[in-house]
Amino acid sequence: MHTATATRISRKTWVISAVAVCLALLVGVCVGAVSIPPADVLAELGNHLPFVHHSNNSSLNSTIIWQLRLPRVILALVVGSMLATAGCSYQGTFRNPLADPYLLGVSAGAGLGATVAIVSNHSVAHWVLPIASFAGALIAVALTYSLGRSALVGRSSTALVLAGVAVANLLTAIQTLVQQRNAEKIREVYAWVLGRLNTAGWGDVRLVTPYIAVCLIVLIRYRRVLDIFAVGDEEALTLGLPVNRARAAVIIAASLGTAAAVSVTGLIGFVGIIVPHILRLIVGNSYRVLMPLSLMFGGVFLVLADVIARTALAPQEIPIGVVTALIGAPFFLYILGSRRSADLT
Amino acid sequence: MSDNSVPTLSVDHLSVFIDKKPIVCDISLNISVGQWTCIIGPNGAGKSTLLKALAGILKSEGSISVDGNDLRSFSEKDRACWIGYVAQDPVFPRGMRVFDYVMLGRTAHLNLLASETPLDTSMTESVLRDLDLMEFSHRDVATLSGGERQRVAIARALAQASPFVLLDEPTTALDVGHQQEVLELIDRLRAEHKIAVISTMHDLTVSGMYTDHLVLMNHGKSSVSGTPHEVLTPEHIKIHYKVDVDIIDNAGFPMVLPRRTLQ
Amino acid sequence: MIKKNVVVAALFALALSACGTTTSTAPSSTPVAEFPVSVGTGESAVTITSKPKAIISLSPSATEDLFAIGAGPQVIAVDDQSTYPVEAPHSKLSGYTPNVEAITAMHPDLVIISNDIDNLAASLKAANIPVLIEPAPSDLAGAEAQIIELGRATGNSDRAVIIKITMEHDISAALNLLSKPTKPISIYHELDNTMYSITSDTFVGQLYKMAGLTNIADAAPGASSGYPQLSAEYIVKSNPTLIFLADGICCGQSAATVATRPGFGALQALTMPGAVVMLDDDIASRWGPRTPELLHNIVMAVNKVQGK
Repeated sequence: MHTATATRISRKTWVISAVAVCLALLVGVCVGAVSIPPADVLAELGNHLPFVHHSNNSSLNSTIIWQLRLPRVILALVVGSMLATAGCSYQGTFRNPLADPYLLGVSAGAGLGATVAIVSNHSVAHWVLPIASFAGALIAVALTYSLGRSALVGRSSTALVLAGVAVANLLTAIQTLVQQRNAEKIREVYAWVLGRLNTAGWGDVRLVTPYIAVCLIVLIRYRRVLDIFAVGDEEALTLGLPVNRARAAVIIAASLGTAAAVSVTGLIGFVGIIVPHILRLIVGNSYRVLMPLSLMFGGVFLVLADVIARTALAPQEIPIGVVTALIGAPFFLYILGSRRSADLT
Repeated sequence: MSDNSVPTLSVDHLSVFIDKKPIVCDISLNISVGQWTCIIGPNGAGKSTLLKALAGILKSEGSISVDGNDLRSFSEKDRACWIGYVAQDPVFPRGMRVFDYVMLGRTAHLNLLASETPLDTSMTESVLRDLDLMEFSHRDVATLSGGERQRVAIARALAQASPFVLLDEPTTALDVGHQQEVLELIDRLRAEHKIAVISTMHDLTVSGMYTDHLVLMNHGKSSVSGTPHEVLTPEHIKIHYKVDVDIIDNAGFPMVLPRRTLQ
Repeated sequence: MIKKNVVVAALFALALSACGTTTSTAPSSTPVAEFPVSVGTGESAVTITSKPKAIISLSPSATEDLFAIGAGPQVIAVDDQSTYPVEAPHSKLSGYTPNVEAITAMHPDLVIISNDIDNLAASLKAANIPVLIEPAPSDLAGAEAQIIELGRATGNSDRAVIIKITMEHDISAALNLLSKPTKPISIYHELDNTMYSITSDTFVGQLYKMAGLTNIADAAPGASSGYPQLSAEYIVKSNPTLIFLADGICCGQSAATVATRPGFGALQALTMPGAVVMLDDDIASRWGPRTPELLHNIVMAVNKVQGK
């Protein structure tokens, strides 16, 4: 006679996740274009803790660690968490393991907003570019939502996805047109589109963390609801879930958070699909488990990807979006090959 | 709760239109807790549609009320506290454990963002025990056999603890042994849990054996309703199914035998 | 300033003629048998049969050269980036995404480009239009050689020589004003807001070298390309004494915006007045007759930071 229990995250998993996050942060701060011995880095970090006053780093090294590396790594952590959690949320609410946080046109809208800001020369003021891309993303999602809303339960998710594809294609076409007519700005636009963390400062971190934190909290609280979506809209309704309302809440939180994230880092792809999916292969399909783990390992993934972006082809910095694609794909294939493919939904 | 000791579901002049075509026309029913009502009828009669309308999946006209309260004015959660539903072809998500699947039934009793309480866990556990599913509790629902799955789906509806349970073709995919097993189970639970069951069924004989109230639907309308003996007559079956049958008595239950004229 | 020095140069030329050379002193009023002429070398060699009267310039530097040497009236169109001089016939033609049909539709008899993109030269040659390629030179001598070559190609050799001599004179004058730095002064020249820079192997880089300055980009990873992209960490670590911004117009950068970049607040150049110098984007990206102005700005900045 065994007692049965609901699926949840084991203590061991929590510990492993927390350790992974800390290690990733450490690696991220110790690596950079200018080589600073790890001991000095740790001393510098300790310097900012009360009562610990130990480092005799030069003020330049101190500036590099505290003003350049640390905010960058923290931004990677925050943005990675958001993208992975948003991706996981979309996968749950649309019952589609290939859904990513850009599904409803967020990336196309953000890209268009950023392109318009860059070619109109207003990107100069530090705050214009994030606001323009954020606005673009939100407008795209609003457009998708109003086009795709369908009264029939069971059709609504498909309608939304189709509307998202249409809106994304439209906005991407407009963006391409704008880019072509302002060819001299192409390099700057592509630098944004491929994603970058190299201009991150504490200002960026302060700008987006509040939005992302709120969205993450909301999404995590919806993890049980995502498990309900798994049985389909009709059955979910009969179980008592207000399907349309719940889906709207998840989409809004995920889109808002994603829009905030890409507004400062540009379009970093793959994190939203790969991280939840790799986790799925390891811990199963329960969103109760996947959501918190996606949050943590999304951050770890992006921090490590950023380290690779900075070091693999030094002195060149590879755009982070390229790195996430290049490391995500083979890793995914490896996991795929080592397990029964029947384990996949 | 009204001052009736037994909750009653009242359906008045219910109609369902799909793409402007009437699929269910003007159905009226009264079902009280403790009863088992079965909707029968030829293919395309509108049986599943009726159930979906009662479950709130499809929009309908007319009224559906419990003890005088219009169900349409209820939130999804409150409605689910009254009416549970098992689809004809339920979705069994790959990778979901039986325990978690059954515990989904507790959704109706939880606020949207709340987590399950120990009460929910123990209710789920007791339902699994009742249905002899404890040994499966950690299995992936998608790996179960047809009969086991059906039990799991019913378990979820029971965990939902709603007085009215809608079952759409609960035995269609089952072999004769499992069919009997599931029906006996539902009957037992109906008595023990004091729930009302509304089901649709293809097999006329079986529907006559287990239920106390039959509704024969055709073209969306309720053509005949009453006890199995009243409904299952050769005339009614000839009219609605367009086939000749013999009805013989089988330990007090009407048994429908197809008649075949040899050329 | 240039006008005054043309007078000086004219006096020079008179003096030269008095020494018995056969150089013509009057600017291009006496017809000399200058055509047909062969200009360019190797692959880009071209023979110009008669004095071109319908020149198209797709290179902003070449545009400035052409107008300085008096070939202005012979120019029918310049590209969309040729902003100087103002009276140049502006058009929508692009030197980055050249449209062969648009160019040939204007019936030019000479086209001057700075890079051969999309096989432009071959396409124009196929249409029987002479093409002259004048790429970015690596030093001042190269820039001056281009002026002379353009003079020969357009029938303005005399003026070209005068412009060349004027340039040399202005360069020397600027260098004379320089107070040679007693301790090494390092500079960072910024091309755009993604921190692309130039090494001493480039034309503008040479000017910094002439002024005795150390360029932090020379030691940067990727310096071999001549246009390395520097990382913020590297710039902070190198802590240049002077910062020259050549991206004020294209990318809106200024001392104020640089100060807001993470980590840059620690740079010494932001604490010393005048250590962040705004250069004219155009002058800093060309190798035309306004180059002495650029050197002059550099020299003034070096002097100022030494308190002289």
